[in-house]
Amino acid sequence: MAKSTIYAGLEIGTHKICVVVGEAKRDGAIKILGVGQAPSRGVRKGEIVDFEKVQTCVNDALVRAEDRSDVMIRNVFLGVTGAHIESLNNRGRHRLPDDQTEISEDDVEEAKEIARSVSIPQSNVFLHSVTRQYIVDGQEAVRQPIGREGRVLEADYHIIHGVRGRVQNAIRCVREIPLEVEDVVFNPVAAAQVVLTREAKMQGALMIDFGAGTCDYVLYEDGMITASGCVPLGGDHITNDVSMALQIPNGRAERLKVEEGSVLYDDVPEGEMLSIEDDTGLILGEIERAFLNEVMNLRTKEILIQVKVRVEDHLGRLGAGIYLTGGVSMMKGVDVVAREVFGIKVTRAGSAPVSGITATFENPQYSAPIGLIRYAQILDSEKPFLSPLKRLGRRMQELLSSVTL
Amino acid sequence: MVEYDRSQSPEGASMAAPRICIVGVGGAGSNVVDRITLDRIVDATLVCAHTDVRVLGHSMAPVKIQLGAELMKGIGAGGDPDLGREAALFSREQIRQAIENHDIIFISAGLGGGTGSGAAPVIAEIAKNTGALVLVVATMPFSFEGRRRLAQAEEALELLQKRADALVLFENNRMGELILPKDGIQKAFNQADQLIAQSLRAISTITTTPGLVKLGLDDLTSALANANGRCLFGFGEARGQNRGAEALKKALKSPLIDSGRLLHQTKNLLVHVAGGESLTLVEVEGVMKQLGRHVPDQTHILFGLGVDAKLGDAVAVTLISSLGLNQLNAHATAAPPSEMLQPRAEQPAPAAAPAPAPKREIPVKKAPSPYAPPQESVADLLFKSEEFASVPAVGEAFPLSSLQAEAAKVVAPQPKEEPVVQEEEPPAFADFDAYEEPAPSPVIAPAPETARIPVRTPAAKELADAARSTKESTLAAVVARSVTLQTEAASAHDDLISFDEPEPESSTISATAVLTRKATATAESQQTFSLGEEDRGRFKDTEPSIVQGEDLDVPTWMRLKKKLRR
Repeated sequence: MAKSTIYAGLEIGTHKICVVVGEAKRDGAIKILGVGQAPSRGVRKGEIVDFEKVQTCVNDALVRAEDRSDVMIRNVFLGVTGAHIESLNNRGRHRLPDDQTEISEDDVEEAKEIARSVSIPQSNVFLHSVTRQYIVDGQEAVRQPIGREGRVLEADYHIIHGVRGRVQNAIRCVREIPLEVEDVVFNPVAAAQVVLTREAKMQGALMIDFGAGTCDYVLYEDGMITASGCVPLGGDHITNDVSMALQIPNGRAERLKVEEGSVLYDDVPEGEMLSIEDDTGLILGEIERAFLNEVMNLRTKEILIQVKVRVEDHLGRLGAGIYLTGGVSMMKGVDVVAREVFGIKVTRAGSAPVSGITATFENPQYSAPIGLIRYAQILDSEKPFLSPLKRLGRRMQELLSSVTL
Repeated sequence: MVEYDRSQSPEGASMAAPRICIVGVGGAGSNVVDRITLDRIVDATLVCAHTDVRVLGHSMAPVKIQLGAELMKGIGAGGDPDLGREAALFSREQIRQAIENHDIIFISAGLGGGTGSGAAPVIAEIAKNTGALVLVVATMPFSFEGRRRLAQAEEALELLQKRADALVLFENNRMGELILPKDGIQKAFNQADQLIAQSLRAISTITTTPGLVKLGLDDLTSALANANGRCLFGFGEARGQNRGAEALKKALKSPLIDSGRLLHQTKNLLVHVAGGESLTLVEVEGVMKQLGRHVPDQTHILFGLGVDAKLGDAVAVTLISSLGLNQLNAHATAAPPSEMLQPRAEQPAPAAAPAPAPKREIPVKKAPSPYAPPQESVADLLFKSEEFASVPAVGEAFPLSSLQAEAAKVVAPQPKEEPVVQEEEPPAFADFDAYEEPAPSPVIAPAPETARIPVRTPAAKELADAARSTKESTLAAVVARSVTLQTEAASAHDDLISFDEPEPESSTISATAVLTRKATATAESQQTFSLGEEDRGRFKDTEPSIVQGEDLDVPTWMRLKKKLRR
């Protein structure tokens, strides 16, 4: 029973490229064996724009991860994101044949089939389709319909799809390294597996993975994934705003943002100045701290509002509130701003239920790659009647084999 | 149970297919008829009528009428509508013979010339007398053809309006404008012809084919009812998955609709959805729902639905509406930057707004700050190059007094643009005004850029304080503060030049640029031009993230500042 599997997750982020190697035990525990990271080049807003640069960076990260974990990495789970990824919920309705009252596996398959046959743009491909719940004769939230008596079976699906070409580009880029892509996962879906606890999902939670290039979100209601998506705005936009407001180069703006920046400006004493230094330590000039903070605040608020606009309909039922993760979630005051925008409880969170290199899993920057390991584990677990996630996994595999073709 | 066969609508069953005749009058008209002949898109008698025998010789229409053979001797009317009319009257009999025994007669003409404007009303009258339904599809001349032709066209239009049952009017200017400037002229004209031909086909099929939800000529006339209205027409056909949405997308892509933007103002909109046997209700519903996003709620949508086996597995969506010339032009002046390449002066009714702009530009141009190279402002691009060139010269020779007046003008609009602050903090604002009042005299001081800045600074600080105390308008604070920051930069600009700038454009927030922007912003019609002109910093080459018309890659503070200034 002590059989364990080793997985590798690869996230090609806008700021960094990260390979996480983890060991998934049969009892569900995950141990992180090693993390390899390299600064990312050639990625904009979560999507690859320069193949060669990205491949070099991935190689760097890969070598480091192999070094630290002492594992040869051949297959990876690839996390993807980008503005092209969209989601929708669909319901498939299947009426049982007249001479049958007990729901069989075939009926479930039929209902699923109907639910999944939603029309998406021709250029798009399904990334995930997750069963949210089954409804038997109008009775909602049925987890396991097989064997129940009923006339009408409905399957609720959450479908995530993206532009085929763009998803394929990411896969191709990784394959040329060469690495085999086992599965393509929408980043926030992976991250949510480690950031949100089962309780949080049941109570209702919105997880926002606030990265450098994009701001991805997943919303759970009653333990079911209800909405997900990607806002193509992120920490880079904050940096860009700062760089243009202060007329300093991007690199310096980034450092200023990380070291000095905050999104709270109301209580900054009037006239408190910050000095800007150049590379040699020479002081170039001074800026007002409140001004810097205000520029950052405006942008951060706007990004969060963009997320809010997209999940507006579901905000009423989030008992567990909002979980902020991703690199930008470490920014000072971002939770306060998020609370201001959404008006509900905000928690900053990294991934929790794993063991291994502590510094890694507590850092919200690594939520998504660690989530990939967890996701892989869920995918592979063969426990019967596990959770919708398991079915999600199986469905995913089928679909992705068609993607990777 | 006996099923009622809906595919055979009652009138369709009893009536034979209506006989259609299309008459092309003059050069433009015969081009359209040629196009229709080539595409074989309408089942109709095609007639080409012209005074010029050479054009007639090239025409591909099966029936050709030489107008006024004795009078004109085969030579064109030379742009004289009177001659055209005379010629048509001479050939009255011939025309009648060609077009009688038809149920619907389309007359296609380009107005403004001799034959088109002169003969078309005569032919319309003859057509009317045969008892047929008369629809006129006409184009208005390009504005570069001169006022004379425009006047002739309008005269002919008036005559046609009295005789025709419905008038579909296309604006040549608009069609020309919306085709890429670098496209060949051949292509441009071809596309225009094609568009007209398409509309002819659409109208004839809509009004004649039996439909599940039938649209009649009355619907068409009400969709086109608009005093001096120009036709908005869009047609799209698609097959395969998502065909409904695709067809609508294509229809909206039509230049005459300007990707749906022009539909925002229409009062009546005719929508016709046609498909083969496989057309589903869901598809139709989807199309209408999607269309709903482009039209305001109060628009009267005349909906028609037809099942046409000929379409096979394709779905066709037709949109017809009209818009008053004034509305159209108002829209055109605010249209996207693709039109910047064409001098705005070509507009038939040039908007009055841009005129004051160059004057306001002058004080700004005179004060290029050393750390901010004068930005090529959007307004500059708008004016003809010679006009642009003359600007600095005028600025040089500008008498002091008028410069003062100009400076006052530049400063003056500000109170109006900050209404929020004004309402909330009237005392602070009075202060702010007091600062502005004595402004003009320092402005004309020898070093304009340094002089201007002290004037703005106290005001900006005041604004910041006001905004801060209320906490409501934090945006104002940012704006004000960014101005303050610039001022500091300016006062110490010698030290700060070493402050390396990532990109030259990123200096847009310098005081100069702020003023330039202000000047451009006051000329209302130019506001939309800023899209795409905005500085997006490092996101310059990436796909823009546009949400509700705003490019979110442009720094938030910059966009807010602009909004505040409006």
